[in-house]
Amino acid sequence: MIHFDNIGMRYGMGSEVLKDISFNLKPGSLHFLTGPSGAGKTSLLKLMYLAQRPSRGKITMFNEDVTAAKRENLPKLRRRIGVVFQDFRLLDHLTAVENVALPLRISGGKGAEIEEHVEELLTWVGLKGRMKSRPPTLSGGEKQRVAIARAVIKRPDILLADEPTGNVDPAIAKRIMHLFVELNKLGTTTVIATHDMSLVEEIGSDRLHLQEGRLHMIRAGENVSNLPNLNEEKFDSLEFDSGKLDQNEFGPKPIAGDDML
Amino acid sequence: MTKAIHFLPDEKNHEATRLLPYVMAVMVYLSALALMGSMMLHKGFGDWTQSLSNRLTVQVTTADQETRETQVRQVMQLLRNTPGIEHVRKLNEVEIEQLLEPWLGAGNVTSDLPVPDILDVTVSRALKINLDALNAQISKISGNIHLDDHQQWLGRFLRLMDMVEYTALGILLLVVMATICMVIFGTKAGMAENRETIAIMHHLGAQDSMVARAYQNRFMVYGLKGGVIGLLLAFVTLISLIYLSRDLASGLVKVPELPMFEVGILLVVPIIAAAISMLTARITVMRDLRRMV
Ligand SMILES: Nc1ncnc2c1ncn2[C@@H]1O[C@H](COP(=O)(O)OP(=O)(O)OP(=O)(O)O)[C@@H](O)[C@H]1O
Ligand SMILES: [Mg+2]
Repeated sequence: MIHFDNIGMRYGMGSEVLKDISFNLKPGSLHFLTGPSGAGKTSLLKLMYLAQRPSRGKITMFNEDVTAAKRENLPKLRRRIGVVFQDFRLLDHLTAVENVALPLRISGGKGAEIEEHVEELLTWVGLKGRMKSRPPTLSGGEKQRVAIARAVIKRPDILLADEPTGNVDPAIAKRIMHLFVELNKLGTTTVIATHDMSLVEEIGSDRLHLQEGRLHMIRAGENVSNLPNLNEEKFDSLEFDSGKLDQNEFGPKPIAGDDML
Repeated sequence: MTKAIHFLPDEKNHEATRLLPYVMAVMVYLSALALMGSMMLHKGFGDWTQSLSNRLTVQVTTADQETRETQVRQVMQLLRNTPGIEHVRKLNEVEIEQLLEPWLGAGNVTSDLPVPDILDVTVSRALKINLDALNAQISKISGNIHLDDHQQWLGRFLRLMDMVEYTALGILLLVVMATICMVIFGTKAGMAENRETIAIMHHLGAQDSMVARAYQNRFMVYGLKGGVIGLLLAFVTLISLIYLSRDLASGLVKVPELPMFEVGILLVVPIIAAAISMLTARITVMRDLRRMV
């Protein structure tokens, strides 16, 4: 479903924030994305939700080389991906209902059905009383739940969530995680970036662990202390699923990652 | 075509473009005046010069009344026998007084004032008469008889009118170009203001054309709004101008009427303004978004 092949990424002329990333996520899988602040979790997700092009390597999604995708083909790919942004990115001048309805409207849904569906979901995430509120009047946790509702309303093929439980209490966090797991059972390939290790352990899924721009795969139940010393050059990258690891330090000179908007 | 999606902030919050309808109104006002002026000149003076161009005027300026009357008879005889001349008529005193009135004032034309006799000659449009030959024959009767075919004066007048018309059309063109520039600025400002909103729409899978539709609809409304205001003001101006010029020009020149057909054309101006505004906004958005790759 999502295949990264030796990806490198940099912002502008800066140094690479993601280095030699290779992995393959099977359809219907659920992964957590962990790592310290600044490790590149959001950057990796940006590549997956097609906001950014890598400076090198090849990304395949939906069996399509998205690194080479034409601009006019991006919308139809993006419509299959639900994203919970770390900073929510709601439209401040629209109500909660209107925000959540946007993905449906963009793909041409009909008014009345949309409304009903959206209100049902917002009620489910505990925002029954805030349907007509605009984001600036919502608390951080409430905004986060609107953002989550917007990401899942269309039952996307891929769900990417960047710290989706960062601003809510444990009870709601659990509820949201439950929503993600249910959605995943219905076939949505899911990647959730989080710092909340208790949730990771509770769900018990494989982890993509980022450290200083390099990716390490941690199988469910595996102990982090078993990891090789992450700072040592020889343990640059862990390989999984894709049968090859190409450590080409002398490859073509990397170019700047492109903003895809 | 799918229904436009509402995602931009309301117009009243749209600082960058909220004044646009009023600037649009000024543009439409100017172009309506230019267009109207040009059309009225074209039609009004066109009719008038048309009526003059198959007319000749013969003036008999001999001072002695008896001689003058003989000469008038001779000239009328000559003209009536000239092929291509349809009608010859001597203006009576009242008509001459009316002609002089604008210069001398009513009641000031007295019988002792030496006034020439004037013949109004209608020429067939079909036959071209030889003016030089006619002139030669007339001067045989007396050197005090002058044939005026208005051509020299008309030519100069028409050149002036052409100039005025081209100027009006030039102004129209400039106004249209300024309007396009303004809409481009407005669209760009609006897009800069809503950068994040547009980015989010893209993330949610909106195509450029969806974003463009929001802007083109908005700018179409601006164009229409401004167009209606501008046109109303233009009508007020035109009607006042015509009213005033009627008072002033009584009898001297035929004042052009407000022609219904041309007024009909003017009603289309706001629609054209809306169309220009809409198209410009669409093209601007599409081009700007494409450059974002
Ligand atoms: N738009 C940008 N331009 C330049 N550098 C950036 C940009 N966004 C992120 N970075 C840099 O890239 C690196 C990775 O950032 P990223 O946001 O991916 O980290 P993260 O793992 O999501 O961190 P956090 O847990 O704090 O959200 C950081 O060093 C950051 O400074
Ligand atoms: Mg982040």
